[in-house]
Amino acid sequence: MLSFLNPLLLLGVLGASIPIIIHLINRKKAISHKFAAIGFLLETKKRIYVKFKLRQLILLILRASLLIFLAIALARPLIRNYGGASEKNIPTSNVIIIDDSYSMQYADRNESFFTLAKTAASKIVDTLAKEDEAVIITCSGITSQVLPELDYDKKHLLDSIKQMQSGYTITRITPALDAAIEIFATARTSVKRIFLLTDMTRNGWDPAWFKSGQEKLQKHVSRVHIVDISEGRKLKNIAITHIEPKLAVLERIAEGHIKATVSNFSSAQAKDLLAQVFIDGKKVTQGFFNIEANASETKEFSFTIEKGKVHQGWIEIAGDNLSADDRRYFVLNTLHKLDTLLIDGDPRTNIYESETFYLEKALNPGREHASPIKPAICSIHEVGNVTFANFNIIFLCNVETLPFEKIRELEKFAKEGGAVVFTLGNKVDANYYNNSFGTLLPHRLHTTKTFSGSSPLSEEQPLTLKAVEPIHPAIRILPETQMNILSSAKFYRIFYVDPTPLGNTRTILSFSDNTPALIERQVERGKAVLFVSSIDRDWTDLPVRPFFLPLMQQLCRFVSGSIFEEVQKEILVRHDWQFPRTANMNAIEITNPEGAKIIVQPRFVNNEESFSYTETNVPGIYTVTVDGKPHPQLPSAFPVNVDTTESNLDKIDQKEITAFMGGTNLTITTSHVSEGHDVLLGEAKKTLWGTILFLTLCILFVESFISRK
Amino acid sequence: MAENPFDPVTLSKIASMELRAKLVVDGVLSGIHKSPYKGSSIEFLEHKEYSPGDEVKHIDWKVLAKTDKYYIKQFEEETNLKCYIFLDSSGSMGYKSTGISKFEYAATLAASLAYLLLKQSDLVGLISFSDKVLQYIPPRSRLTHLHVLLNALTELKTAGKSDTSAVLNEFVEKIGRRSLIMVISDFFDDTKKIIHQLKYFLFKKSEVILFHILDPYELTFPFEAITFFESLEDERRILADPKSIKEQYLSEINHFIQQFKQSCFENQIDYCLIDSSTPLDQALVGFLAKRETALHPIRKG
Repeated sequence: MLSFLNPLLLLGVLGASIPIIIHLINRKKAISHKFAAIGFLLETKKRIYVKFKLRQLILLILRASLLIFLAIALARPLIRNYGGASEKNIPTSNVIIIDDSYSMQYADRNESFFTLAKTAASKIVDTLAKEDEAVIITCSGITSQVLPELDYDKKHLLDSIKQMQSGYTITRITPALDAAIEIFATARTSVKRIFLLTDMTRNGWDPAWFKSGQEKLQKHVSRVHIVDISEGRKLKNIAITHIEPKLAVLERIAEGHIKATVSNFSSAQAKDLLAQVFIDGKKVTQGFFNIEANASETKEFSFTIEKGKVHQGWIEIAGDNLSADDRRYFVLNTLHKLDTLLIDGDPRTNIYESETFYLEKALNPGREHASPIKPAICSIHEVGNVTFANFNIIFLCNVETLPFEKIRELEKFAKEGGAVVFTLGNKVDANYYNNSFGTLLPHRLHTTKTFSGSSPLSEEQPLTLKAVEPIHPAIRILPETQMNILSSAKFYRIFYVDPTPLGNTRTILSFSDNTPALIERQVERGKAVLFVSSIDRDWTDLPVRPFFLPLMQQLCRFVSGSIFEEVQKEILVRHDWQFPRTANMNAIEITNPEGAKIIVQPRFVNNEESFSYTETNVPGIYTVTVDGKPHPQLPSAFPVNVDTTESNLDKIDQKEITAFMGGTNLTITTSHVSEGHDVLLGEAKKTLWGTILFLTLCILFVESFISRK
Repeated sequence: MAENPFDPVTLSKIASMELRAKLVVDGVLSGIHKSPYKGSSIEFLEHKEYSPGDEVKHIDWKVLAKTDKYYIKQFEEETNLKCYIFLDSSGSMGYKSTGISKFEYAATLAASLAYLLLKQSDLVGLISFSDKVLQYIPPRSRLTHLHVLLNALTELKTAGKSDTSAVLNEFVEKIGRRSLIMVISDFFDDTKKIIHQLKYFLFKKSEVILFHILDPYELTFPFEAITFFESLEDERRILADPKSIKEQYLSEINHFIQQFKQSCFENQIDYCLIDSSTPLDQALVGFLAKRETALHPIRKG
């Protein structure tokens, strides 16, 4: 259907009368002249009358049509397509989907795509009639929320558009389409339209969804109109797609290393791209990237940082049209090392034979800075000189006895948040342990059992280890697929324990015969862990197994409440942050980068009581506190970064979308949002003013040719 | 620069038709010294023996001296040439673009011709006409007759339609044999009929000369603005864009002239197209040259 963007200019069609008026005026102004040879004039006119009149008529038509065409061209005609059935004057139900993925923050002109999308949405709402109902949803806003209902109140709709803010998620078109279909279930009209305002980046389109979704769209939706806010332009972007922070804590200082990968998602080379690393708001180093088109480059940045605190930092590259992925956050924890006391109950002259030899090496292998755990070894005789409170973790390795006052000190140490780990051996007397450490042991010790067939004490084949479902955080350092590696460790003798736990206990590892191998017990603010075999090679070959080192280190982190690592694992926007609940911690506070604080209470996730935070909506550093202060058993901050799959701004082809949609009534507009409302409604399929202007020029040419002849 | 005294515009400043005629003819004659018309009516034909009753003045004394016999000289025609000037006074002759009107030009031409002929003792008559005879002055040879002619010419006004053939038809019987018929007109008339009528005069051994007077604007049609062209003879008017019809008009009028000229040639009628902006002496010289060619074709050859 033909319509006009500037219909008022159609009045210019009246200009067609101008040539006629000029003709009449000229006729009126014609001078009179007495002429003798009038007979020849009459004869001439008679002869050329048809030709003359025809020429005059043609000229008149040309001049009039010149003005008509010009007026029509200025009125900007276009052919409307109402999608098969005319929607005019029929009430409609409309779901306007605004793509709020962070690629919509792209701004190569004055306004970002998201702002343009909001403008377009407002314009669409403006065009709706009183009887039309509509709802505005965003691609990211429909998953966790109750679906909004169709609304007649245009003002309310416009307000909701106004309040919308762009997100930092990746594009998810198909869930939004699902939501729209669901919303249409309550539609009160028969014409159901979806308006999708997007930048047409490929990553948001899930081809798999359309296998079933195509049918749903055809069944429930009258028309889908996609407005390409990017106007079909090719978009360029450079993003930090990956960072790998590392920390080396030395005696006095700490060294930070950031391995950053920057990707160039454009067809032009990026030269001398500045990248800067900031720690606690101060720039600490910088470098330059030279990246070929559609390629990536990785560089490592090194810097020194202060020990003994948690550092928040980011790396950023020089800004481009899409700034959301130009910065990536990280947290480096250089808090003091875990001071660990290893009480060696079986020290030997030959240190290889000492009870704590393997454990000490596992906790701090090689050089000092390689591990955050700082082990100290003492014998039973030296225990009297040691203050337990100076340590974070105390290992009792095959300790035969402890002085009474040290036992009391140990209990106090644990209750106040310390961690005690019991490892057993031939010097351990079950009764003594049960009587002396009853407040700490998870289970009472029973008897020993020997398994090695080669040993004179052998009764059965050696036992092996296995993880207990669900996987305990203390061993989560091992990938789930590699849990069977645990079975490589052989246990020749173990202590059986009473099945009845002595408190709030949980089995971390068990043996192949399902008897507990490693058990934890919450002791007020602290923890106690019992390992029912020896920590040296007397009863097991575990210490020489490759997973011994990470297992022990992770155990230390867990029992000390420092399971979070020095380098906090990054969370992607809209991904959940989870942390296992520790004792007597009923709520934690999480403050997002914008300063919004949320109280998080523990809840069960996969049968484990955890703090789970889902409001990771913006990238940045989120701080974790308990009663307004950092808690020693919690990470004080964690970084949230954008998912860089959205950084690739490759466009999806219109043909592909058409193929996805199948027989769905689909229109796609690539026009600028400043175009008329009709264009945004998808009712304008083709503009005609260019063609008409061309015709006008042609007419002008013909007219001048004929009039000169 | 001195004005050309024969220029129609210059002549138009001279009120007296006689003066105009004398100026033109004397100037022309002084320029050519010898008029080819001189003695055209007393041309020697043969000798014959004198017999009583013959005029003594015609005795050829030289022959008498040589032969001692009386012979008298016989001439081709003993009477003087009778000339009739038909002057078109219809409305169309009143058209003038610049300078003088076609009629003024034609009248001056007629006066000049009359003067020239009377000076040679020929008889000159004048018929002014439109669609009918307006005035008829019979031919006379006295020089005083010139005044009569000039007075008549001076008083003539243009009006009405022209019907040359009808007027000529009236005079076919009245005009005797071997006359000189001169028609001065724009011939915006039925030229076929005119030629047809003129043939009668030719049949009577008369000579016919047509002076076709046209205004320069009629020949060039230099108009530009859209104009209502109005007839000088009737109520006809036409609105036309001159630029669009000029080409066709010029083609029409040139075709008309060529056709007319061709018809005249085929019927041994002298035809002389005169642009009314042409100096009159040129027109007259042209006429005299043609006359000489007509009377002495061998000599010219």
